[in-house]
Amino acid sequence: MSSSINTVCRNRRLRCCAYGIALACCLSAAVLAQDLSLRAPSGAVAGSAASIGTSGSGSATFYMIGPSLSLKRDVELGQDITLSSQELQTAGRYIAIVCTNNCSSVGFFVAPAKPVNLTFLVHPSRAPVAQNDAVSGVALTFDEYHNLVIAPTAIQFQLAAKGSSPASHGAQTHDGIAWFRTSSGKSAGPLQVSASLSNEVTARRVVQQVASEPCNLRIKGERTSKGIVVETDPLRDCSGNPVPDGTVVTFTAKNGNLTSSVDSPVKQDVARATMLATGPVIISAASGVAMGNELRLGGKE
Amino acid sequence: MRLINLWRNSAMPRRLRLTVGATLIAFLSTHCALAADSSPQVTLNVAKASPRNVEALTQRSIVRDYKFAWANLDLALESNSAGPLNGLFAGNANAELNEAVGSQRKSGITSRYLNQTHKLEAAFYAPEGDVIELHDTAEYDLEILDGGKAIHTEHAIIHYIVLMTPGADRWVVRQLQAVPQF
Repeated sequence: MSSSINTVCRNRRLRCCAYGIALACCLSAAVLAQDLSLRAPSGAVAGSAASIGTSGSGSATFYMIGPSLSLKRDVELGQDITLSSQELQTAGRYIAIVCTNNCSSVGFFVAPAKPVNLTFLVHPSRAPVAQNDAVSGVALTFDEYHNLVIAPTAIQFQLAAKGSSPASHGAQTHDGIAWFRTSSGKSAGPLQVSASLSNEVTARRVVQQVASEPCNLRIKGERTSKGIVVETDPLRDCSGNPVPDGTVVTFTAKNGNLTSSVDSPVKQDVARATMLATGPVIISAASGVAMGNELRLGGKE
Repeated sequence: MRLINLWRNSAMPRRLRLTVGATLIAFLSTHCALAADSSPQVTLNVAKASPRNVEALTQRSIVRDYKFAWANLDLALESNSAGPLNGLFAGNANAELNEAVGSQRKSGITSRYLNQTHKLEAAFYAPEGDVIELHDTAEYDLEILDGGKAIHTEHAIIHYIVLMTPGADRWVVRQLQAVPQF
């Protein structure tokens, strides 16, 4: 009986001892964890200094890993770790780590600074006049450290062509991007396109508006000693703009079953060709989707 | 086949042969599994892309090149070599990652991005197709080492805003910016 009581007592003592050790371990772990706790900076902004709070005492190794930097230095626990503005220039996620015997870490985000730069993509560089949705532009906002500014920002797009009042279009960036799409104007010439950021930063691009396809095609011609000389009247698009030099006009001569064609580029609004044909011929011209009148030589037009 | 016959007819006892064979299979399968894990998994959802629709061929190219970019980003930060970044990152993303590699090398730190999965969502595709903005919900095991000793490990889920532009034969990452949320 006494031996069994002793055994029970010994077991209880052992159990107590084990609980004690476990408790001590937990406490020491908790103390160690507490020693290495870090407080991340709240609301850190790119290019602005910040600090990370630490608790505990003694020296430790501090690491910080960011989108474009990794640093390692010795620090004193219990004091704030100062991060310079140069160390926080890149927006994104950072991990701060402090190590003594074990390591503790904290992650935090650095937000982009205020927008000061615009990347402005405009297409196309040459656009035919009077085309729907022919011109488009995309503006991206960046801060001075080349971080994409995610916060909504007002962008003012302006389009100004010679001879017409400028058109303005306001847009708000969404995840750093604002865009527009518009029809081209009615007159050929440069179209000034600009994107402005609160009237302080402006990016300008130029779209050259050119005449569209020829609208009306009329030809005239005569027989000479060298052949039949044909030429168009001055070529215009449907908005009255002279078509650009180099626009190709195809002249076709039909003489019975024989057909011959000549491609001729427009020079100073007019396309000319000399065709070799004998006897009565019917000459026609075409450019793009426009067909010209038929010209009959050796008979009547 | 000849190799199998040689293996069968070898003077090794049957039990030893089985043990060696099993070990070899286990080794190969482990390494194949590791190789499969090390390649980032990338999916792309284009349902919300506007104003332009993302063509099927473009989708395939973006997935291929983004996957390749992250595999090489991991390689660059693990080996502290900027070489793998060339051709896949351009502009700001390239400059930042080069700086990251340089400062890691200087401080003796290396990073590993293991078991990566990237869920991409196209948020904006420019009317002329010259820039695409993607939202990437990335999930990976991040390991930071100082001289081979792990100082930080975590299973991270990070949101990235990504800008990609088409190059001559591939899409390149121009901006890779982690954000708290989309």
